[in-house]
Amino acid sequence: MPSPSHPLALIAEITHRCPLHCVYCSNPLELAAASAELQSKDWLRVFAEAAKMGVLHLHLTGGEPLARTDLEELITAAHGAGLYINLITSGLGLSRDRLRRLVDAGLDHIQLSFQDSQPERADWIAGTKSHAHKIEVTGWIREHRIAFTANLVVHRQNLDHLEETIAFIETLRPGRIEIAHTQYYGWALENRASLLPTAAQLENALRVVERAEARLKGIIRIDSVIPDYYAQYPKACMGGWGRRLVLIDPTGKAMPCHAAGVIPGMVFDNVREHSLQAIWNDSAAFQRFRGESWMQEPCRSCDRRTEDFGGCRCQAFLLTGDAAATDPVCTLAPTHQVVLQAVSTSPANVVAPSTLTENWKYRPNPGRV
Amino acid sequence: MTQIAETSKPALAVGCKWGGTEDDPLVLYPEGAMKIHGTSLAILALCDGERTFTDIIEELKRQYFGADPNRIREDATKFLETMQEKRILDY
Repeated sequence: MPSPSHPLALIAEITHRCPLHCVYCSNPLELAAASAELQSKDWLRVFAEAAKMGVLHLHLTGGEPLARTDLEELITAAHGAGLYINLITSGLGLSRDRLRRLVDAGLDHIQLSFQDSQPERADWIAGTKSHAHKIEVTGWIREHRIAFTANLVVHRQNLDHLEETIAFIETLRPGRIEIAHTQYYGWALENRASLLPTAAQLENALRVVERAEARLKGIIRIDSVIPDYYAQYPKACMGGWGRRLVLIDPTGKAMPCHAAGVIPGMVFDNVREHSLQAIWNDSAAFQRFRGESWMQEPCRSCDRRTEDFGGCRCQAFLLTGDAAATDPVCTLAPTHQVVLQAVSTSPANVVAPSTLTENWKYRPNPGRV
Repeated sequence: MTQIAETSKPALAVGCKWGGTEDDPLVLYPEGAMKIHGTSLAILALCDGERTFTDIIEELKRQYFGADPNRIREDATKFLETMQEKRILDY
């Protein structure tokens, strides 16, 4: 399968260190230690290579990217290379001065996460006191001419008061609100029994979002998609394997997506040893599910295979044990039963913070090991 | 959608910027990029935050001399208002 000439976006997971412990974190269960992280000079080279290949967007994420003390230097270099720079952050580690330095360095867009509108619930989901600081950060963001997205991850424990949460976020005056349904990988899969929404919650949430979209049209843009456990067809995960995106983990491993490490037998080339172009073109990991030759039925003869690319390989493995199977969230998948079963056997309880804490599996902070 | 006024001064919205190459220009925004060519490029290139809507229409009439001026105004209005709604333009 010939490779698409270049990725459009580079997701740079620059650290797994994070002061938050969110129960739905998309990071792998095995977090990279600080001592294993790439150095500034490695990232600088990768950004230059990416821009030269035609990559347009850089997503600086983590962990908490602010945990890297060289973030200013990384942004300066990426901006100099011509990349559009997104920072995906909790805001912890940000001061008014540091934000000014990041903006001066060339930051284009800040995406700030919120866990809930109610401080106690927000801090409970994040596993750390963070809500009040995030609100303070929004005041500093509004002092600058940069794009501001408020990101809200939703799940069973916060969907019932989505309307209230959107109204709260509105007061922070972002240009865009992203309502992201929890995706069940990594820590979220560990906590799925506490997070999976009910069908009734989802129905209600769809109506709430529709009303908010109508009300805020031209003022705040709202992006939201149906969570895939309840969808008819799978998501076009990452826009197709090795088609549009490349992710580099804190240690320099180049991966087709966040979760690809869960698939047995995957070998990821490292940017310490190979150029990004060589990895994109030739590495075994990027070739493995590129194109259609790996597909089984019903994907192989399905008209939708060029739209959703068979869905998510990692989800296929995590739920069926076969990474080349049709994503089981697809209603056409022979293994769709596993998703129906997860949905039908999931508890429906929404609980008070004090009662669930012992069942949560909080994501740890790998720290400075 | 906000209606554009004669004195409006459209400019790329916060978080939007020009990218790509001279032959293949793009507008980059947080969630992606949009290819801009033809008349869209002609209109958007004039949205510098200095020119008013009236200035932009006059300039387009010069660039597309011979085309129906009402049609130019209609098409430009529709395009600018759509771009504002998509949060690509502010005015």
